[in-house]
Amino acid sequence: MKRREFILLIGGGLAWPAIARAQGGAKLHRIFWVSTESQPDPFLDGFREGMRALGYVEGKTVTFETHYAPGDPQALRKIVSELQRGDIDLVVSSGPATRVMTAVTDIPVLFALSGDPVALGVVKSLAHPGTNFTGSTFLSLELAGKRVELLKDIYPKLRKLAVLSNTDHPGEPLEWRATLESCRKLGIEAAYVPFCGAREIENGLMAAGKVDADALLVFPDVVTLVHRAKIAEFAIAHRLPSMFGWSEYCDAGGLLSYGANQRTTYFRLATYADRILRGENPSDLPVMRPEKFELAVNLKTARLLGIDLDVSSILFRASKVIS
Amino acid sequence: MTDGAAQSSSCTMPPRRSLFCKYFATLFVAAVVPLILGAAVEASFGYRDQRRQISAVLQADARSASDRIEAFTDGIRDQLGWMVQLPWSVGDDAQHKIDALRLLQQVPAIVSVSLLDETGAERVFVSRLHLNRTGRGIDMSTDPAVLGARANKVWYGPVQYQRDSEPYMRIAVAGSLPAAGVAIAEVNLKLIWDVIAAIRIGETGYAIVVDDSGHLIAHPDISLVLRGRASSGSFGRIKHLAGAASGAAAITGDRGNPVVALSVQAADVGWTVIAMQPVSEAFASIRAALWRSSILIVFGVLIALALAYWRAHRMSGPIKQLEEGVERIRTGQFEHRIKIFSGDELQQLALRFNEMASELAISQQKSVRIERLKQFLPSQVAELVEHSHELLEGQRREVAVIFGDLRGFTAFSTRNEPDVIMAVMREYYEAVGAVTTRHEATLIGFDGDGVMLLVNAPVACEQPATQAVRLAIDLQMTVQSLAGKWCDAGHAIGFGVGVAMGPATVGTVGYNGRLDYTAMGAVVNLASRLCNLAKDAQILADPTIAGRVRDSVPLASLGQRTIKGYDQALEVFAVAPADLRLKPPGSGQRRREKEPQDH
Repeated sequence: MKRREFILLIGGGLAWPAIARAQGGAKLHRIFWVSTESQPDPFLDGFREGMRALGYVEGKTVTFETHYAPGDPQALRKIVSELQRGDIDLVVSSGPATRVMTAVTDIPVLFALSGDPVALGVVKSLAHPGTNFTGSTFLSLELAGKRVELLKDIYPKLRKLAVLSNTDHPGEPLEWRATLESCRKLGIEAAYVPFCGAREIENGLMAAGKVDADALLVFPDVVTLVHRAKIAEFAIAHRLPSMFGWSEYCDAGGLLSYGANQRTTYFRLATYADRILRGENPSDLPVMRPEKFELAVNLKTARLLGIDLDVSSILFRASKVIS
Repeated sequence: MTDGAAQSSSCTMPPRRSLFCKYFATLFVAAVVPLILGAAVEASFGYRDQRRQISAVLQADARSASDRIEAFTDGIRDQLGWMVQLPWSVGDDAQHKIDALRLLQQVPAIVSVSLLDETGAERVFVSRLHLNRTGRGIDMSTDPAVLGARANKVWYGPVQYQRDSEPYMRIAVAGSLPAAGVAIAEVNLKLIWDVIAAIRIGETGYAIVVDDSGHLIAHPDISLVLRGRASSGSFGRIKHLAGAASGAAAITGDRGNPVVALSVQAADVGWTVIAMQPVSEAFASIRAALWRSSILIVFGVLIALALAYWRAHRMSGPIKQLEEGVERIRTGQFEHRIKIFSGDELQQLALRFNEMASELAISQQKSVRIERLKQFLPSQVAELVEHSHELLEGQRREVAVIFGDLRGFTAFSTRNEPDVIMAVMREYYEAVGAVTTRHEATLIGFDGDGVMLLVNAPVACEQPATQAVRLAIDLQMTVQSLAGKWCDAGHAIGFGVGVAMGPATVGTVGYNGRLDYTAMGAVVNLASRLCNLAKDAQILADPTIAGRVRDSVPLASLGQRTIKGYDQALEVFAVAPADLRLKPPGSGQRRREKEPQDH
């Protein structure tokens, strides 16, 4: 046994320089970035940051081809045909674009979804995707109810909640249903304010202002993220305590947010991109889920809204306090 | 002589370069084998030391990881302990909820906490994902967590994979007072990743955590954990192999590469921490040593090759030179000299060889000179001159002396012209010389018409008496045939022979380079007297000869005769006429004529 190990060791030792040589060799990887949103794209920036951290140099070892079809998933279908070109190493789709990408079967696709990728049908299971798709899910569905509860914790007088939702978002109906269920359990009336895409955001806000709600819940997605300042401003203007999905909303003036850290999520997505570019099969890479959720509170907004945080149990639970 | 020796040696020729090959191989092996053996021994000892060291390092790292995991679970257990310090009282739910929420804030790994009262009913439930609940809820008194915590104060549940992907476990703690109830926490084990990912063994070594049944709980590559039970087969194998070995085990790691692994049990939760380091890294130092040794061996081999070649060449080159030298000597090139300056025995050998060659040359010259001498000297004497000078020195030995003398020569010489005399003498001398040579006798000298021959000196022969008698007979017959010819030419010449045997002093006498080999003693006188006594065609012998040749040549006794110089009469023998097969005609007539002229 020992002798065999010894021989194996010597054999391995002599083969080692050959193995060392086989690695390395910089190749230019092409990443196809597909989004239904428009620039500026905070998700792309997060992903780029992750790739940089992994040692990729844009223009040298990686190049991004960005394709945006603002509010028009159908327009992306044409883009899919471009993938037949054959020199694309990886597709990264964000938000609703993932739904269109289901047509792609021969190129690895990384997604970042709020909803459930199994329900969407792009992967067979979280543990073993079994397709050319893998990525990250934000678990929004499970957090939807929690956000309502937290809003009630900070504002116990909450009776009617306006829910601003971009219907052009995968898994949106499920998220709305989960929210509705939580509202029912907590004795809150939910006012559904749907809108479709960035063009309708103004209409959506206008509609939200008309439902006479005590508070505002905004489903996290790219459209609301891009327009977070406008939404936060609207909430303060209407004296609505607001709840969002990610802390970026609080930075822009939102009162509360509860959800996974976006930076971490896209950072991890970049590690998957790296592994796929190195040759790993996406079907073997389990779908990632965040395990840390941050509760962000904007004290300034709270003061503007006249909410006394000292009496609620929110403040000590907050992982991020913006003052 | 040299020819024969060379021929016998050239008939079994050994293969050409065998000595070179043998020396080369021996020297080479002698240099390389210790080198390789040394390297192998060093490598094996180094391997053993390195292995021990790796075991120690892995043990320390695995133990440290296990300690940190225990700290992780102990931290949760201790935090849960706070939840169950006070007994439940009415209206306490809100305060407990705050405590539970604070616990969530304190311990990121806890996903949800359930606080149960003494009856096992849920009173408070707080979660990061689900809606919180307060007030008397579901009855969990039969839950294994509750039963386990009540029995042992602390209960660690099995690892479960949510949606077959994320590892979770439940930890339950019961208060010291039964009224304090039970706290159950659901823990997301992905958070252990922070503990495990922080462990770096060497450059690329890492630690993993598996549960009792080989399910992966923590791995630096979190995606392997998220595969849930699917990967348990491979990690179960690693756990088994690492656990079976006493120290570090060399196994195939989860990435398919050879690793050195060592496992340690995390006591409370029953998990196994396996520290692994790729073999390529773990044994990097010994591999470097092996490379160094290999390079040294290559150098050593090259040097050994060169040295062995040089040495073997130094050995076989001179031998080849010597061999060629022998071959040249064989073909008679005695002037050939071998030049070897190795300063060792081979040079000595070459020196001796050259000496031998010069000796041979001298010997050759001598034999050439002797060949030339043989034309003038009796061949026996010539051989003797060549071989043994001491034989020619004075000594006393038994010899046979033969005297021959022509009858009627005085009358012939006075009657005839010198050229006729010289012609007869020349024929006579030639005939005597031929007979002497034929019988290997020694011609002492001619004295006018007389001749003296010696047998058994200086060259010894086996039967000197018989040989002397045969020589006498031959001599007589030869001269008689000549005499017949001379008679026909009108010269009446006869020939008588006397043979005697006895001790005589033989040796070389003379002066100033003019040397003669001669015999002195009574036997010489006796032979001379017998010759004088002999009539034409007669051979007279003394009793010694007669006694010696009795069996081969019968001699007839002529009775007692008085011989000059001898006091007593001596019995004289004559070779029977029958033995003189060729009877010359007219011998009787010549005998008559000759008789008065005897001296």
